Amino acid sequence: MNIKNEVLVRVYIVLSVIVLAAICIFAQAIKISVIEGDRWRAKGKELYVKYVDVEADRGNIITEDGSLLATSLPFFEIRFDPNSTGMQEKDFESNIDSLAFCLATYVDNTYTPGGMAEFLRNERLLGKRNVLIKRKVSYSELKRIREFPLFNKGQYRGGLIVDRRSERHRPFNMLAHRTIGYIRDGAKPVGLEGYFDKYLAGKKGKRLMVRAGKAWIPINDLTEIEPTVGDDILTTLDIDLQDVTETALLRGMQHHNAKHGTAILMEVKTGAIKAIANIGRTEKGWWETYNHAVGSAVEPGSTYKLATIMALLEDGHIKLTDSIDIEKGKHQFYEEEMIDASKESFTIDTTTIQRAFEISSNVGIAKLVQLHYGNREKRAAENFIKRLKSFNLHLPVGIEIDGEAPPYLKEAYSADDDWSGTTLPWMSIGYEVTITPLQMLNLYNAVANDGVMMKPYMVKEIQRYGETLSKIRPTVVNKRIASPKTISEVQSLLEAVVEEGTAHRLKTSQYKFAGKTGTAQTNYKRRSSKKNLKYRASFAGYFPAEDPIYSCLVMITEPSQNGIYGGDVAGPIFREIADNAYASKIALTPAINAYAKAPLTEKKFPSISVGKKDEMAYVLSYLGLPIDKTTKRDWGVLKADSDTLNLYGRTIIEDKVPNVVGMGLRDALYVLENKGLKVVVSGAGKVVNQSIIPGTQIRSQTIRLRLN
Amino acid sequence: MSKRDDKNLLGGLDWMIFSIYLSLVGVGWLMIYTVGYDEDNTAGILNLSTNIGKQTFFIGISLVILLFTWIIDWKFWRTFAYLIYAIGMLKLLGVLIFGITVKGATSWYSIGGFTYQPSEFAKFATCLAMAAFLSTYNTNIKHRASLITAVSLFVAPMFFVLLQPDAGSALVFLSFLFVLYRAGLSVNFYIVGFVTTALFILGLVFPAEIVVTGLLQLVGLVLIFNFKQKRFWLIGTGLLIVASVVGIKYGYIIPVFAANFIGLLGIMYMLYRSRRGRLVSQVSALLVIGSVVTFSASYFFNNVLESHQQDRINVWLRPSICDPQGALYNVLQSKMSIGSGGFKGKGFLQGNMTKLNYVPEQSTDFIFCTIGEEQGFIGSLSIIALFLLLILRIVSIAERQRSEFSRYYAYGVAGVIFIHVFINIGMTMGLVPIIGIPLPFISYGGSSMLGFTIMIGVLLRLDSKRLLS
Repeated sequence: MNIKNEVLVRVYIVLSVIVLAAICIFAQAIKISVIEGDRWRAKGKELYVKYVDVEADRGNIITEDGSLLATSLPFFEIRFDPNSTGMQEKDFESNIDSLAFCLATYVDNTYTPGGMAEFLRNERLLGKRNVLIKRKVSYSELKRIREFPLFNKGQYRGGLIVDRRSERHRPFNMLAHRTIGYIRDGAKPVGLEGYFDKYLAGKKGKRLMVRAGKAWIPINDLTEIEPTVGDDILTTLDIDLQDVTETALLRGMQHHNAKHGTAILMEVKTGAIKAIANIGRTEKGWWETYNHAVGSAVEPGSTYKLATIMALLEDGHIKLTDSIDIEKGKHQFYEEEMIDASKESFTIDTTTIQRAFEISSNVGIAKLVQLHYGNREKRAAENFIKRLKSFNLHLPVGIEIDGEAPPYLKEAYSADDDWSGTTLPWMSIGYEVTITPLQMLNLYNAVANDGVMMKPYMVKEIQRYGETLSKIRPTVVNKRIASPKTISEVQSLLEAVVEEGTAHRLKTSQYKFAGKTGTAQTNYKRRSSKKNLKYRASFAGYFPAEDPIYSCLVMITEPSQNGIYGGDVAGPIFREIADNAYASKIALTPAINAYAKAPLTEKKFPSISVGKKDEMAYVLSYLGLPIDKTTKRDWGVLKADSDTLNLYGRTIIEDKVPNVVGMGLRDALYVLENKGLKVVVSGAGKVVNQSIIPGTQIRSQTIRLRLN
Repeated sequence: MSKRDDKNLLGGLDWMIFSIYLSLVGVGWLMIYTVGYDEDNTAGILNLSTNIGKQTFFIGISLVILLFTWIIDWKFWRTFAYLIYAIGMLKLLGVLIFGITVKGATSWYSIGGFTYQPSEFAKFATCLAMAAFLSTYNTNIKHRASLITAVSLFVAPMFFVLLQPDAGSALVFLSFLFVLYRAGLSVNFYIVGFVTTALFILGLVFPAEIVVTGLLQLVGLVLIFNFKQKRFWLIGTGLLIVASVVGIKYGYIIPVFAANFIGLLGIMYMLYRSRRGRLVSQVSALLVIGSVVTFSASYFFNNVLESHQQDRINVWLRPSICDPQGALYNVLQSKMSIGSGGFKGKGFLQGNMTKLNYVPEQSTDFIFCTIGEEQGFIGSLSIIALFLLLILRIVSIAERQRSEFSRYYAYGVAGVIFIHVFINIGMTMGLVPIIGIPLPFISYGGSSMLGFTIMIGVLLRLDSKRLLS
């Protein structure tokens, strides 16, 4: 290859590299602009027009009596687009001063009218498109703002941008706070708000937004897809009872300075929760922090003895009149010593089972269980567990709040459950088992309901715009948890606890109630000294004892002053709730037929009639109908008002056509013909129409009357 | 001065280059205007606090420079080439000490409110020095000493720029390989360089074992043409290749690799026995180097490159593993704005993506997006065509020079412009990795505007005297 050729080849190679590169770029340009063009254009469009979600208003949470527990209050954010595409210079200039005056006067007092005008002019010059006027404006304020000069031209020409927001509001503040719950971004939903979110939330709407500079503003005044307001949920809660319960619990918590406490009030016949309160001690004071009623399964202590005694009775092992040696309140079970809590036990040797229960003797109950289920083969213990399961003590109740803790019940002789020789006796008095307050209450409720176990529930209806969407009816879980005999025996036993047992100090002459105290140690180590023991005091029961309406459970964890026992700590709170509930809901709410009905007047009788006053008065007095008001005129109109009969006067003027509508034909003829009118009559009955209107000058015309 | 110049001031001017230059500068000015355009802002095109004001100012200076280069005697550049080169290098060193740091790179001098980037001037200086050196009588690029000097001339500024660090601008100096090629540098260097780069990239994208397997097969195929029974060997190798492809598909990478390796050893052994030992050792050496490059690609990528450089290479080679809101964002936005322009574009001042800061660096590195969005496919093609025409014209001008200095200088200019245009437009379209270098004559920026103007100015001046030398 000679030099010249080589140079030529090199030049061509250089040129072809350049051209090749150009071809690559050409090809890529074609690919992007033409082949993939549609895709990029669609993507690009997203950048300056987009749909944004419009939050729907959440539905309300309402108590049974119609009080709002939680509701969404709408408010509006007002912004101004001084560079709106449709705004004309002359519109802006001729209205800006009056607009500024209105804004400074009615909306934002921090500005003078002049200052506001200057501010708005300035924002217009700066090219702003989204000037905040006010963040929170009510609907009525908004209505007025829409009337302001310039703003009344709408968003396009007037530049008014309205953004609707809403915020959750709880009119009753702390009442049932935790039970109502909340939905928050980034937090686990809590309570009814969380559980019923799918109803309450509603459906989000969509709104088309356009990019204006760096801000997004809505394209239209209206939302493209309107959000659907969430449905309301009607709870079983009663605001009065909730208030009573919460107040009583709070008072008790403060009196005993306890760690936390729970009170639940349930309607016996239906299982509807009427009130549920949870109060805990926080750094900031007393507040509803955690729903212990539903979420905490704990060792209940003596309230569990109800289940034990029911099992013993149901299995036919005992009669309440049988004797039992409670050994002055002390008994050794294997290596563990069980001691009774009440001082009364220390003076008693042998007594009846009934008395042992009344004074809540741990030894008495535990010995019975040990005797009948513990000292024989495994099957006996299994029978006991089986019996407890027949009271549903191993199942959650399924309340409509997330996070219900399941109860814990050991299986007989199960190594997994650490079953030991002392398990049965301690289980019988409410240790080595856990259960939530609500689950415990459900057993008492079933006893009060003559053995029918209901499913506790809190929401009875879902409503949309006040119309019922779906109803939730009371559910029977178990028609018969025990024989009627057992039920009636334990009912009288629970009454006896109040009459002469551990709760006898709570007795009232106003009404009878039944229940059981419980005092559990929360940090027991059986051999440790008695110092520093912490307690959980509870009381579960129902009232009125003869015909139970409500069941109630109060549980106070770790009271630190003024007593520790269920009868001293939880009992008084129960009494306060029961007193109030009894007074407000039972005693003061008489049966529907307790009194005679208030008279409802029917305006038909006597029907409006017109006639000679004296004659009508005579007839009415003959019938014994009292007249409240009467008239001085000759002619009267009888009228029945809501609860009275009145006689009003009818004026007849000398030379004018009188009003005879309502008169009988006899009276009408008498009046009209005396005035020299000729009368033509059609029909029969009372005058309903006259051809010449009353008040016309009489010139011996002919008047036609229609009777009906 | 010759008589001809006395008669006509513009005699000998290459009108084509001059008019392309003016068009590109004009388009650039309009594009910078549209990027900064704001209906409410009427600051004006002469306000030095805005981009467009500064650009107007620099275009004015550029025209003065153009006039200046046209007036100065053409021998000036040849005479003072090395001096200018020395000044350029000193400025590059000086910026490391006195420069200001913007976005992590110490690449700018700050003078009275303006910033000046010496690497732009260094490109021009290197063009001059390279041309001067190659046109010296006793320079022969085929000799090692000359080659080393020539390579050092552009590796030195490259190295200084890398210290700033500004890898993008450093890369531009590789464009002098065009000049060296024209000056007669052996094509083997380029082949080796190309193969090495290709192996490196393949080694990043595919498992190194597979790439090396392919390399083994390629070498094998080349070698078997030395045998007499070509058909026999060809069929054997063909079967091996098919088996390898199937094997790799089912995941037997190592066995396939081993089989190919043994096969190639066999071929080499046969060649060695037929007294072709020298060929075998040469091929083996190449093979070893190639394998080392391939296997070290991942290591180099992960341990030598910085994370933003890794990101850029990933965006280019492996977009699927990139975060669309992160590393991939710039390219997606850039492609989106070019694509959204469609065939005719949205019209002047109507592009909203490039205005609303969707595209990064939209008046400097990504100015081409604005052209794509507002002027559409037609506008993009026109600009690309203008650049192609400009570069081809410079090359053809180079070839008509009698003076070697002028010719190599023109080649240098063509190379620098070519690399800038190819990389800049290529990156806005996702064709090459994102490397932050400006689009000549169009991108906003005084240093690059002045740098490219002086390159073109000197070129026009040298060309005007071609007939006299």
